[in-house]
Amino acid sequence: MAALLEVEGIELAYGEVAACREIAFAVAEGEIVTLIGANGAGKTTTLRGVAGAMLPRKGRIAFMGQDITRLPPHERTLAGIALVPEGRRVFPFLTVRENLEMGGYKFRRDAAKVRGLIERMMDMFPRLRERHDQRAGTLSGGEQQMLALSRALMSEPKLLCLDEPSLGLAPLVVQEIFKSIRAINAAGTSVLLVEQNAQYALATAARGYVMQTGAIVASGACADLRLDERIKEAYLGRK
Amino acid sequence: MPDLLSLVVQQTINGVYLGCLYVMVALGLTLIYGVMNQINFAHADFVTVGAFVALFTMTRLATKMLGMPEVAGYLLSIVFALGAGALLGLAVNAAVFAPLRDRGDELRPLIATIGVSVLLENGQLALFGPIPYQFDSPLAKETLRFGKIFFSLQNVLVVAVSAAAVAALYAFLKFTFLGKALRAVSQDRETSGLMGINQSFLIGLTIVIASALAGMGGALLGPGLVLDPFAGATVIVKAFAIVIIGGFGNLAGTILAGILVGIIEAFTIQYLGAGLIDLVVFVLLLTMLVVKPTGLIAERREENV
Ligand SMILES: Nc1ncnc2c1ncn2[C@@H]1O[C@H](COP(=O)(O)OP(=O)(O)O)[C@@H](O)[C@H]1O
Ligand SMILES: [Mg+2]
Repeated sequence: MAALLEVEGIELAYGEVAACREIAFAVAEGEIVTLIGANGAGKTTTLRGVAGAMLPRKGRIAFMGQDITRLPPHERTLAGIALVPEGRRVFPFLTVRENLEMGGYKFRRDAAKVRGLIERMMDMFPRLRERHDQRAGTLSGGEQQMLALSRALMSEPKLLCLDEPSLGLAPLVVQEIFKSIRAINAAGTSVLLVEQNAQYALATAARGYVMQTGAIVASGACADLRLDERIKEAYLGRK
Repeated sequence: MPDLLSLVVQQTINGVYLGCLYVMVALGLTLIYGVMNQINFAHADFVTVGAFVALFTMTRLATKMLGMPEVAGYLLSIVFALGAGALLGLAVNAAVFAPLRDRGDELRPLIATIGVSVLLENGQLALFGPIPYQFDSPLAKETLRFGKIFFSLQNVLVVAVSAAAVAALYAFLKFTFLGKALRAVSQDRETSGLMGINQSFLIGLTIVIASALAGMGGALLGPGLVLDPFAGATVIVKAFAIVIIGGFGNLAGTILAGILVGIIEAFTIQYLGAGLIDLVVFVLLLTMLVVKPTGLIAERREENV
C-alpha cells in the first residue's frame, strides 16, 4: 500500500506554546486510521495541522508524494484533503443546500457536477433533502453532523479527516454516522478518524495511534490496541 | 389637514433621499466589518475620491473633451466614480491591507486604515487645494411637482441608483457561488478555508465592492457636499452611527437604519432646525446602544452580510 499522507515529526503551537510535538504517522491509500486520546491530548490540533488550518513550525507533511507543509488550507482541499471539523461548524445562516455548495467550491465552474454531487449526498442522507432549504443553524446535532460530513465529501476528497463525529450525538445517530464512514471508505476514500469514543474508533479503523499530552505514545493495529492493558484502562473504561 | 399630510410626505421623500445617500456610504463599512471584523477608517476618503473623480469626469472629460450633454456627463461620472472606488480599493488592498493581514495580527491593519486615510486626504489636498469646489448636478435643476410636493430628478436618480445597487448586492450574495462564499467567510472564516475557499481573494473582493460603493456614493453625494479633501468626513460619522444602529455587519439592519436616520434628519430640519441633526442622531445612537446594543434587527442573531 502506498502512503497517501505522511506526517513527519511536526510541531504545532498556539502562540509560543507547543500543543503537539514530534508527531509522526501515516495513512495509506484506502485505509481507516484512528487517532485516539483523552481530552486535550492534541488530536484536534493534529488534524488542523493536516488540513492546513495551522502551519507546523517544525517537521514535514507529504500528501500523495507532494510536500504540502506550507500549503494554505484551501489549496489542501484542492489537493484532496477534507476535514469535518470538531463541533461540525456548519455555516449557520446558509441553507443546507448552500452549505453543500460551499463544500463543492472547487467545482464551482461546473454547476452540473455540483448538482450531481448534492443529489448523491441527499441520497446518502435523505434527511438533508427534506431540509434542503432550511438554514443549517436550525438543524439538530445529528443532522448537522450529516451535513458536515456530506459537505466535506462534496470536494471528492482522497483523504477524509473527521474530528469527533460522535460528539454529543445519540447512540443511534452515531451508528448511522459510522455506517456511512465505513461505506465512504469502502468506496475508496481513505479516512483519518479522531475520536474520544475509542471503542467505536478502534472497531472501525484498521490501525490506530494513541496521543497523550501532545505526543504519540503508542501505535499499532486496532486489534492489538484493543487488547493493550494501558489503553483499556485509560480509554475503554474497563479493566 | 392636507397641508400637514403633504408636509409629512415631502419630508419623508427628502428623508428617503438622504437615507439612500447614507446607505451607499454605510454599506461598505458594514460589509467590510461583516466579512473581516475590521473597521475601515479610510472609507470616508474613498467617498471623497469618488466625489472628485465624478466632478472632474463631468466638468472636464465629459462636457469639455467629449462634448457630452451635462446630464449624460453626470451619469458617466457616476460610473467613473464607481470604477475609481473599485480600483482604489484594489490598490490599497494589494499594497497595504493584504500584506499586513498575512502577517496575522489585528491591530496593524486597523492602524493602517488610519494611515491610508491620512495619505488620501493629504494627497487630495496637494492635488486639489483646500478651497471647496462647486459640484452642481444638472439633474438638481429639474424639479417635479405634485400638488404641494416637490422633488428633483437628482432625488429620483439617487433613490433609483441606490435601490439598484442594493438589489445587485443582494442578488450577488444570494445567487452566485462567490456571493455565497463571501457569506461563508463572514460566518466562519476558518471553516471557509477548509471548503477550498480562498479567503484572501474574497476579502479583497469585499474591499473592492465596498470601495466601489463608496466611490459611487461620492458621485451621488458630491453635489450636496462642501467638496474639499476632507468632505467625506462629514458623512462618515453619520455612516458609523448608522452601522451601529443597524447592528455592525448586518446588511438589512444597515439599510433600514440608513433610511431611518435620513427620515429623522429630514423631520429634524423641518421642526427643530438643521443645527440639531447631529444631536438627534446621536441621541438615537445612544438610546440604541442602551436599549438594543445588537442593532435594530440583530436580536435573532440575524445573518451578517
Ligand atoms: N485555540 C487554542 N489556543 C490555545 N491553546 C489551545 C487552543 N486549542 C487547543 N489548545 C491547547 O492545545 C492542547 C491540545 O488541544 P486539542 O488539540 O484541542 O486536544 P484534543 O482535540 O485532543 O482534545 C490543549 O492543551 C489545549 O488546551
Ligand atoms: Mg478535540
